Amino acid sequence: MIEKTQVIHNKLGLHARAAAKLSHLANMFTADIFLIYNEDKVNAKSLLGILTLAASVGNEIILQASGGDEQEALAAISDLFNRKFDEES
Amino acid sequence: MPKEIKGIQLGQIKELSQLKIVRIFNEKWIHNLVSHPRPQRPGLGLTGYLKHLQAGRIQVFGKTEVGYLHNLKDEDRSRCLKNYFSLKLPGIIISENIKAESDWIAMAARYSTPILISELHTAPLISRLSAFLYQYFSKKIKMNGVLMDIMGQGVLITGSSGIGKSETALELVNKGYQLIADDVAEFYLDSNDDLIGRSNEIIKNLMEVRGLGIININDIFGTSAVLEEKKLNLVINLEKWDAKKKYDRLGEDTQYFKILGLELPLISLPVGPGRNLSTIIEVAVRNFLAKKSGKKTYLELNKESALQQDELSDPQAEVSK
Repeated sequence: MIEKTQVIHNKLGLHARAAAKLSHLANMFTADIFLIYNEDKVNAKSLLGILTLAASVGNEIILQASGGDEQEALAAISDLFNRKFDEES
Repeated sequence: MPKEIKGIQLGQIKELSQLKIVRIFNEKWIHNLVSHPRPQRPGLGLTGYLKHLQAGRIQVFGKTEVGYLHNLKDEDRSRCLKNYFSLKLPGIIISENIKAESDWIAMAARYSTPILISELHTAPLISRLSAFLYQYFSKKIKMNGVLMDIMGQGVLITGSSGIGKSETALELVNKGYQLIADDVAEFYLDSNDDLIGRSNEIIKNLMEVRGLGIININDIFGTSAVLEEKKLNLVINLEKWDAKKKYDRLGEDTQYFKILGLELPLISLPVGPGRNLSTIIEVAVRNFLAKKSGKKTYLELNKESALQQDELSDPQAEVSK
């Protein structure tokens, strides 16, 4: 299992569209991927789960992955956060 | 992992409409933390017996406390209030809209204790306050899965992502059963040690169905298709069909799902082509209800076959036919 702390950079935070992109990406990996924020832990493959976090810009969340492609999964997800979910130029 | 609750600010309690708070004194300290789930009436604490008064417990004054204080001589009252407030209590609620005297308020202010005035009588005030604090401080846990009411039973459908939980739940809603929460259900233990599940407010009534997106069950099926909260009775886990795994063929195995110190019956259902999950779940719940009332089909089957065996081996039985 590996973990990484990730800051949310995009203005709107983990809103519906960002959450959809995130869960879509997470579903491409076989590893179990979780997001931890404020002691809440949700499955990154679950769109509604991500929405319950209500995490916004500037917040720090912990990405956690375990299983076969955990390295690739975490790198790809972290990259999505750093690209601000491709929603701001 | 259950979340530990450290406390609730008095300000949040003040906002509860059911407590009918009409006035607040010493509001400067409204951020004081209540860290105990039960409110306390000071009772003999006012006479100087302070042993059982606990810091962190919200205090409730009724007519008795207020009347007692009124009847004291000025210097006695002052000493008594000083001893009492020096315990640094988080806050006091006075019931029945009783007037708080200015010397009490001043003494409370010296020890940074806010005084709240409620319109309610003491008994309903304490019971509403207790009910709220009990739920607030109870252990809570989130679980992945769909929580539904099926024939009056709270059923949590779990399984790995993409196995078809939401699709199955949608079929069940279409059959007339109620949705409580999709994807993430939040549970707390109530005062009867029952596990009560509800949805996170943000995703209440919502369901994600791949291909359709996020849909609002309340808008599509109406209010009769959703429920606010439900006691959990049964967990059904959907898993990929594994040819090597031994599935329960007789219906005699009882598995349990452990959560917050409780054991709930668990049924594992393999998902395979041609298996209509919503019907199987519906029947699983019917069967669960039958078992609960003492019906065990596999045992009756045993009895039947034993009877037939007896008849075959007993020549007398043959003759008497």
